[in-house]
Amino acid sequence: MSDYRWRDSPDTIARLVNANEIQTMSTQQVLLKPNEACAMIVDGRIGDILTETLLKNMAGGFSRWIGDKMGVTANDRRLLFAMTGPMDYWIPFEGQIADGEAVKGFANLRMRMNLEDVPKLLNFFANNAPVLTRDGMISIISSEVNARVVAPCLASCATAADLRAGSFLDRFEMTAESEMRNLLSNLGFTLLKAFPITNPTDMELVKKHRASVQAQTAGTQANVEAQLAHYSQTETLTLARIELETNVARAQARGQVTVELESELKELRAQEARWDAERSHARGKMELRNEEADAKTKRAMDMFAGVQDRKAERIANQQNFQNQRMEQQNDIQTKMMEMAANSGALTPEVMQEFLKQQTAQKAVDGSGSANTNMAPNTCACGTALTPGWKACPSCGSPIA
Amino acid sequence: MIGTPIDVLPYVRGIQLVLTGYNGYTKGSRFENDKIIREEISRASTRVRSHMQNIFDLQFKEGNMGLARAAKQCMEECDYLIEDVAKSASGMEHAFLSGQRSPSNKDLKKLIKHDHEVIEMVTKGINLANSSEFSIATSEGDPKQLIMQTTQLLSSCRGFYGARAKILAGLKQKQIKK
Repeated sequence: MSDYRWRDSPDTIARLVNANEIQTMSTQQVLLKPNEACAMIVDGRIGDILTETLLKNMAGGFSRWIGDKMGVTANDRRLLFAMTGPMDYWIPFEGQIADGEAVKGFANLRMRMNLEDVPKLLNFFANNAPVLTRDGMISIISSEVNARVVAPCLASCATAADLRAGSFLDRFEMTAESEMRNLLSNLGFTLLKAFPITNPTDMELVKKHRASVQAQTAGTQANVEAQLAHYSQTETLTLARIELETNVARAQARGQVTVELESELKELRAQEARWDAERSHARGKMELRNEEADAKTKRAMDMFAGVQDRKAERIANQQNFQNQRMEQQNDIQTKMMEMAANSGALTPEVMQEFLKQQTAQKAVDGSGSANTNMAPNTCACGTALTPGWKACPSCGSPIA
Repeated sequence: MIGTPIDVLPYVRGIQLVLTGYNGYTKGSRFENDKIIREEISRASTRVRSHMQNIFDLQFKEGNMGLARAAKQCMEECDYLIEDVAKSASGMEHAFLSGQRSPSNKDLKKLIKHDHEVIEMVTKGINLANSSEFSIATSEGDPKQLIMQTTQLLSSCRGFYGARAKILAGLKQKQIKK
């Protein structure tokens, strides 16, 4: 028993095999995988449709040959093998969108065959070679796809940008689902998915070129800006470095100067301290002198105050004496005047003589007091001296 | 399983009402039963897809893109479910000394219940799809809601069907007794 291979290329979709033409000594068997199906057409009738099984004794072998010779087997036995899994078909198309721009691309149709639809492939094999390949399938459906699906969908696109819109993909798929059903159903296929892939149009290429040029320009601009920024950074860095170095040098110089100044300052401070000490010493001495002078002055002032007190006392005594004397004279004169009045001797001449004596008496009293108020002299040290002082209060020199 | 256990008999009977030939994974017919179930789910999904296809065609041509889009989504969900079912595991019978664990009776009982529930779910999906088409035809009710419910149900069905892979974990290693 030998294995029969109905599919020798990935592009093979279906094959119609005439079992009577397989004349081999060994019996042929075929293994049907889950995505493969085999419809048996015996004497013109569609029999079982098998999948996921090992189909033994499908053709060939001595027993079948004997049966044929004896006429106990079917006259016509055909096996229709097909792939039932989803397969992609790329259909090239060319068209125009609404603004007249040419569009090229591919329409992808993903199709599957239901198990019970496998015999429908007989519609194809009735007028074609017994092998259906992917290219054969594309050649069958391409014209209808272009006419029914691609052209109407492209016509609804105003610009090339509409080709990239999701709504275009939706419309394309729905149109394919609706418009291609008749043909695909006749062939036994079920459309699972459809979508277009359009090449860039001429205008899109122009836009792409423009965008790339702009991008290049922008890139150059960015590079220039980056370079400028780099230079600026370098400049800033260099300036900062120079400034730093200058600052360092300046700081060093300043530090040196500071050190020198500090040493000078130290000397100056030492000098200042010396001078301060000397000044303190001198001030102490001066204060001592001042205190001594103050003490002398105080002593002179005290002495002067004593003199003044005594003078005031003497003047007061003199004044009292004068007042008493004047009162006594006044009393005497009054008594005299009374005696004169009593004796009738108070004549104008007596009165006039009385007034003359009175005036002369006052003049004598006045001259006595004027002598006591003499103008002060001046000492050799410049201090004004009051009469009655015995010594100068400032210098202490005796007054003659 | 040599015979059908009594506790899963109602489920088997329920499935048998819609699938002749189903006998609940009895010995020697496991793959056939599995295939029957899968084909039934595929068939039911195709029915849902047909309804949605009708709705889609009509609504797309009338320019009612909202409903057309919803119907298209439902169709895609049907395609996914069909593909999931077509390419799902059916469990393996392993040689006694292979070191692999074949599905036990307990697993198969679970599988029968699961089959019943999946078929019920897909049948509900068919009813909903039918109702949505009917709703459009009679202009009664909210067809979009029905379409979306159908999509949701099919989506749930996909997920639920995926649980078979767990039940049919034939490649699981036998537990080694210490």
